[in-house]
Amino acid sequence: MESIVPQLMANSIIAGGIYALVALGFNLIYGATKFFNLTHGVIAAIGGYTVFYITKKNDSLASFFNQSIGGTVFAVLIGVLCAALVGYLLDKFLYKKLRDRKASPMVFLVASLGAFTCLQAFLAILFTSQFQTLGGGAGDIVTYTIFGGIITEVQAIVIVSVVVIMLVLGIFLKKSLFGKSVEAISDDEHVAKIVGIHTEKIISIVFVIGSAIAGLAGILVGYDTGLEPTMGMGLLLKGVIASIIGGIGNVYGGVLGAFLLGFVENFGIWKISGEWKDAIAFGLLIVFLIVRPQGILKR
Amino acid sequence: MEYIYHLAVLFTIYAGLAITLDLVVGYTGLLSVTHAAFYGFGAYATAILMTAHGFGFFPSLLVGMVISMVAALLIGFVLSRFKDDYYALVSFGFNIIVFSVFLNWQDVTRGPLGIPGIGKPELFGYTFSSTLQFLFLSAVLMLLVYGAARFLVSSSFGRVLKAIREDEKAISVFGYNTKTYKLVVFTLSAGMAAIAGSLFASYITFIDPSTFTLNESVFILAMIILGGLSNVRGAVIGALFLILLPEILRFVGFPTDIAAQMRQVVYGALLIGLMLYRPQGLMGEFKL
Repeated sequence: MESIVPQLMANSIIAGGIYALVALGFNLIYGATKFFNLTHGVIAAIGGYTVFYITKKNDSLASFFNQSIGGTVFAVLIGVLCAALVGYLLDKFLYKKLRDRKASPMVFLVASLGAFTCLQAFLAILFTSQFQTLGGGAGDIVTYTIFGGIITEVQAIVIVSVVVIMLVLGIFLKKSLFGKSVEAISDDEHVAKIVGIHTEKIISIVFVIGSAIAGLAGILVGYDTGLEPTMGMGLLLKGVIASIIGGIGNVYGGVLGAFLLGFVENFGIWKISGEWKDAIAFGLLIVFLIVRPQGILKR
Repeated sequence: MEYIYHLAVLFTIYAGLAITLDLVVGYTGLLSVTHAAFYGFGAYATAILMTAHGFGFFPSLLVGMVISMVAALLIGFVLSRFKDDYYALVSFGFNIIVFSVFLNWQDVTRGPLGIPGIGKPELFGYTFSSTLQFLFLSAVLMLLVYGAARFLVSSSFGRVLKAIREDEKAISVFGYNTKTYKLVVFTLSAGMAAIAGSLFASYITFIDPSTFTLNESVFILAMIILGGLSNVRGAVIGALFLILLPEILRFVGFPTDIAAQMRQVVYGALLIGLMLYRPQGLMGEFKL
């Protein structure tokens, strides 16, 4: 029998890639607003289900979007936009109001928990609780073999997107005026406002960008494994854990944390049942919070 | 009529959970989302001891309380390092870890298959077998929990808890060891939550891990936030409302599978509405 190490490596990198996508958006939003945005996970699910609706569920739309590879790309774009829109609306009608009232982080947490529960139930009503996949049948999956580990085309896209988004976001936040504004808000929202930064507008944009990345993550999960309405919580918690162990508010830290989490999870279940993954992930989080609460890379 | 008794039993069980969680979240200001884990310890202790080891209900209830309290002591010890939203997040984590143990420690818990055939409580040769008899037992036990909680919060111990919630630094300046207080209330709350778990296991006669998920913890949290934090009576009213909610929705005419999701929509919306307009809940005295 061949060694399973290469496949475990491949699986770790893929899992890390998905977590990294969730962590990128989450980290960005956390940096500007300083609260655990639990709706981030369900926004990923909304992105996935939008693509599911226009390529699978609605027949007349499906015949349009399934014609060519361009149609699929277009569908993914619509999914991403939809996720971004939901993020924008949540900020405008919920989180902004709480910010105006200077609510405590716990109020934000509970309110986003409420929004999360609502949206997740809506998804279940619209699309049933069943497991759905976005991709085609198992026959036409393109795979690559790298150092003895097998990865699919979708998984390769995940890795490429993570690297591209991380670099673009990292450079954009570092060089642009927008990035400097985000940093200022992150340090002190009140002072940022006084020196003339349109804090509300910046936070709005942050929500749009963060949610769009989450939407992409949800769509890629849909193509890779599949969609279910409850997928949001799992994705979100992994994204949060990745952000915290990597260094919260730090773009590169979140990605680093995500890959570390992917490796620990996948090698952790080498000898035991896969159901332990979540417990391992939280175990890692708790160890980090006790030993190195600021994460690997400090902001 | 039988159905109303059934709802009443569920109500007493959840009221007990809500009251005990309120001690931690409402009175002490620690946003814990692990309560379903302690509920589960009680349920699993009763289920395993009664089916596999020939224990009676009441001894198993005591063992469940002890297990739950020991676990709470360990979990609370780790949690005591954190504050506010990090506290909530780590408590999320403990719920998921405990759930994984229920799911994966198959030699003991039978994993996803669950444990069927749990017996009914017996006291001095009298068996609480019908729903009405069971209701009587669960109501008595929950009144005891209610009384204990009322006693706790009106005592000097309770006043220290509230002081910790309002200003932990100030009260520690007066020489109170706040860590110990937080640990004690967390442990007591977990022990009493285990009673609800034992009752649930014996009442339904079947348990599996899916009852003790993170969602269940959120559900209990929603009860006390709705009823009002830091108010024992508020917790009871919140439990009553959220237990009756699915029935109301069914009465309105939603089919059963949609009604289950509508319940989530309604209580999610309630949480949002309360946070926006009335963060202290219906009759609470503490805003998150």
